Amino acid sequence: MRVEKIRRSEPYFYLAPTIILMVILLIIPIIMVVRYSFYDNVIINKHPQFIGFENFAKVFHNKSFSAAAKNTLIFVGGSVIVHLFIGMTFAMLLNTKYLSAKTKALFRVIFALPWMFTASVIAILWKMLLDPHGVVNYLLEIFNLNSTQVEWLASRDFALLSVTIINIWAGYPFYMVSILAGLQGIPSDLYESSAIDGASAVQHFFRITIPQLKPILISLLMLDFVWTLQQFALIWMTTGGGPIHSTEMLSTFIYKLGFSKYQYSQASASAVILLVICSIVAFFYVRHQRGQE
Amino acid sequence: MVGGKSGYIKVLVVTLLMIGTLFSGFPILWMVLNSFKPNSEIFAWPPTWISKNFLVDAYVEIFKNPEKIRFFVNSYFIAFTAVILTLAISILASYSFSRFKFRGKNVINTIIVSVQAVPPITLLIPYLSLIVTMKLYNTYGALILTYLLFTLPYAILMMTGYLNTLPKDLDEAVMMDGGSRFRALWTVLVPVSVPGLVSVGMYTFMQSWNEYLFALALTKTNEYRTVPVGISLLMGQHAYEWNQMMAMSVLGSLPVLLLFLFFQRYFIAGMTSGAVKH
Amino acid sequence: MNPFKLDHLKALNKTAFSILFIASIMIALVGCSGSSSDNGATATQNQTETAANDSNTGGKGSKKDITLEFQQWWGVELPDGVLQQIVDGFTAQTGVKIKLLSNPYADTKTQIAAGAAAGTMADVVGLDGSWVYDFAKHESIANLTDLMKADGYDDSQLSDQIRVDGNTYMIPVVNFAYPMYVNLDIVKEAGVESIPKTWSEFKEATKKISTSTGKAGWAIPLSTESPSGIQNNFMSWLWASGGSMLKDGKPALTNNADLGATVAFVKGLFDSGVVAKGSNSMKEADMVGEFTNGRVAFMTDSLAHLTLIKKEAPQLNFDIIPVPVKDGFAGKSGMDVANWGIGIAENSKYKAEAMKFVEYLMSPEVNAKLAVYANAFPGNSKAEPDYSAADPLFLKAYDIYKTCYAVNEFTGLPTSEELMRSFDEQLQLYLGGDTSSATDMLAETQNIWQDAFK
Repeated sequence: MRVEKIRRSEPYFYLAPTIILMVILLIIPIIMVVRYSFYDNVIINKHPQFIGFENFAKVFHNKSFSAAAKNTLIFVGGSVIVHLFIGMTFAMLLNTKYLSAKTKALFRVIFALPWMFTASVIAILWKMLLDPHGVVNYLLEIFNLNSTQVEWLASRDFALLSVTIINIWAGYPFYMVSILAGLQGIPSDLYESSAIDGASAVQHFFRITIPQLKPILISLLMLDFVWTLQQFALIWMTTGGGPIHSTEMLSTFIYKLGFSKYQYSQASASAVILLVICSIVAFFYVRHQRGQE
Repeated sequence: MVGGKSGYIKVLVVTLLMIGTLFSGFPILWMVLNSFKPNSEIFAWPPTWISKNFLVDAYVEIFKNPEKIRFFVNSYFIAFTAVILTLAISILASYSFSRFKFRGKNVINTIIVSVQAVPPITLLIPYLSLIVTMKLYNTYGALILTYLLFTLPYAILMMTGYLNTLPKDLDEAVMMDGGSRFRALWTVLVPVSVPGLVSVGMYTFMQSWNEYLFALALTKTNEYRTVPVGISLLMGQHAYEWNQMMAMSVLGSLPVLLLFLFFQRYFIAGMTSGAVKH
Repeated sequence: MNPFKLDHLKALNKTAFSILFIASIMIALVGCSGSSSDNGATATQNQTETAANDSNTGGKGSKKDITLEFQQWWGVELPDGVLQQIVDGFTAQTGVKIKLLSNPYADTKTQIAAGAAAGTMADVVGLDGSWVYDFAKHESIANLTDLMKADGYDDSQLSDQIRVDGNTYMIPVVNFAYPMYVNLDIVKEAGVESIPKTWSEFKEATKKISTSTGKAGWAIPLSTESPSGIQNNFMSWLWASGGSMLKDGKPALTNNADLGATVAFVKGLFDSGVVAKGSNSMKEADMVGEFTNGRVAFMTDSLAHLTLIKKEAPQLNFDIIPVPVKDGFAGKSGMDVANWGIGIAENSKYKAEAMKFVEYLMSPEVNAKLAVYANAFPGNSKAEPDYSAADPLFLKAYDIYKTCYAVNEFTGLPTSEELMRSFDEQLQLYLGGDTSSATDMLAETQNIWQDAFK
């Protein structure tokens, strides 16, 4: 009997450090944030009152919130799709039989370079590149592609595009390395037998490569979705959410509410909304994983 | 026919390689070039490529300043400690997920996946209060714990995937010989999981090395601060020390680059089995 | 070769490992404050003192044990070592030690804001006029009126005090004027004969500059990340022409002829294409960079930048002039000022000592010295700074300053930074052609501002 009990509790024993850490340092702050979201102005008010869903109503009626939600959708969607595309292209490129092992190793490092930098460095770097007097405009000019100095980060037409490009640049190596790893894990006899059947390269790609990579692609998309959703430093340090609200994201919106307007309750309510969205995504992800087993 | 076709493909491959190099490498090349320019030349129009006043001042300035060296020492200490703790804790948790069926497994798994979705910025205030209550404010401990927490979910996800690829016979063989599960884990599974551990370790190192917001908010004095905060300290209210920022960015990313160079074989192997097959 | 010394792990049996493991968790959870001192060999003494301060063990000892933390951005902007030298003077007088926590402006702000929420604010903090109201309302900075009274301090020598609900929460230590900088070479190149004194002259001059030299006539930083361009580069036009954006301390943006004219004037500058590109994401530092690189003819900027500009571009031929005024205005001009203010944390254990330190910084000699080093004007009206070694341009600015009155209407307003930001956004909408008229823009901004004053 006793042995049985120990056996049953064994998995929990292994999980204990993780659970203890997460409960103390993550679940407690999350509960605090959820609680804040139901009270009127916490932290500033010494005796906050319970006000139900009023904060949520205020957030949903905030015009900046809908702008932020829309931008976030474009930003996240654009980043994730292009990440996947570039990551896949580069990974395939580095997996072709036309390159020697040394060449592959060299380009693997070059293509992975953007990954080595912290968000604040990336922000500073691109602010410098995309300055109206920066080198990007200069290159466009000498190659006769454009003669006016484009305000990449300062005009409402280009700002969202610019920050999305910056984020794409910063994030694709993660896809590339993961997909590369996945490609190397596909047994080569699959391709060989398919080649005997006379399948073309394109058919290879859709019949073998994609299905084989599917689990890793789904993991990547899910992780990238949640990571891009919370991207803050990059946006804050390049545009601050402006001009007007053209690059306002949910993360910058929450930051401004909390640290500039001192509306911690509304900021918390927005955070809870984000948490719910992410939890739904996570739920489907886990269910999908279970389906795989 | 066939030769002609593969010729086209070769041209395509080389073109793509060039475009890719330009896209990923040019911004970084520009960063390196700018770190050797005097500050006033950074935005010169037309831009200068290699400055006539080629300067290593920015680097000298950093190496001369013990406070800036300290940022690097701190970053190493914090990142390495976080890596070791993350590895230890995540391998235990992953072992549990990979080898046991137990009540609440799915719930715990969902929670672990979804907590990484919480935007850290929203937790800043309650988290800071918590750290202050635990008397960890302005210590290495605060940062190490934070990074441990940030990287654990992904580490567990990846390690579980990796352990799932290892046949169960491996650990069962040890248990047949009368060894405990624990022994099976540490004597058999851990040694063969090196690629997985390297992947997780690299990921943790990069996250800890690069994090900025909490590194700033959880510390008060420069004694405990890390490289990203050090870089941002060069942005004054009135002026940017562009060249020094660039120099420090170059120096700050070197360790990550070296780690990647050194471990890339392991790293990719680890991701192959880890991230791919859940 | 194995990076994680896994071979060693193999040697451990289960029990030994569990102990090791639990110990490592314990270290991580509790003891890391201890582990830090092992690694902090260079600054051990400082650390022990700070630790003593944090845990309040030194409270009952003699004054020699007291260390006050002084969090500010001034140390970064002053010449190296000057602030340390000044606070050492205080330690020599009183025995109370001062630990400087000097970080750039933006980081100081983040830290003070987070500190206000979590109770980790340093004893004495550098403040910007735009933060005061909110921190005072949160009760995170102390009521200085009470502290001054308790100490019997004569506050008549202070040139200004920032009050919230009638009580002082911030004392401006030094003031920075925002005159106009002009690049004389560009002006000459464009053939502009006289330096503009009025708006219409300014408009004409910048037009001439941009058509004949291709350079920008004027620059304004409108980045919403740090919207201070609204006070320093936009409202400075209004104030210079004697206008005001407030009435009885409340927003008065509508039915305000002066403000309407200012908006129209700035819109006119944008429409005639004389404003430097990228203004919507430009920050103050970017604007200074443009000026230093000789690409902008005029900018309104802090005198604090004088040394920096001279250092970065020694050959730049520039001058300092009064901000041009609205045509026909003959009254006294207001000159925009920013200040380094000081306050005391409500959670400080040593408020009385902190007040002594504030008094020390405000004492005529120390205040004068600080002003000289910072290229600023003293906050103590009795201070007589010795500017004899100062740059001639600084002296010229000082003369201009003396003919004006100092003004910054954003100081001490509720969510001051947010007010600037919303004004900034509405201004950008108007400049971009989304809002049809200046009246609409100001009416909309007035609505937003009024919410903050409720």
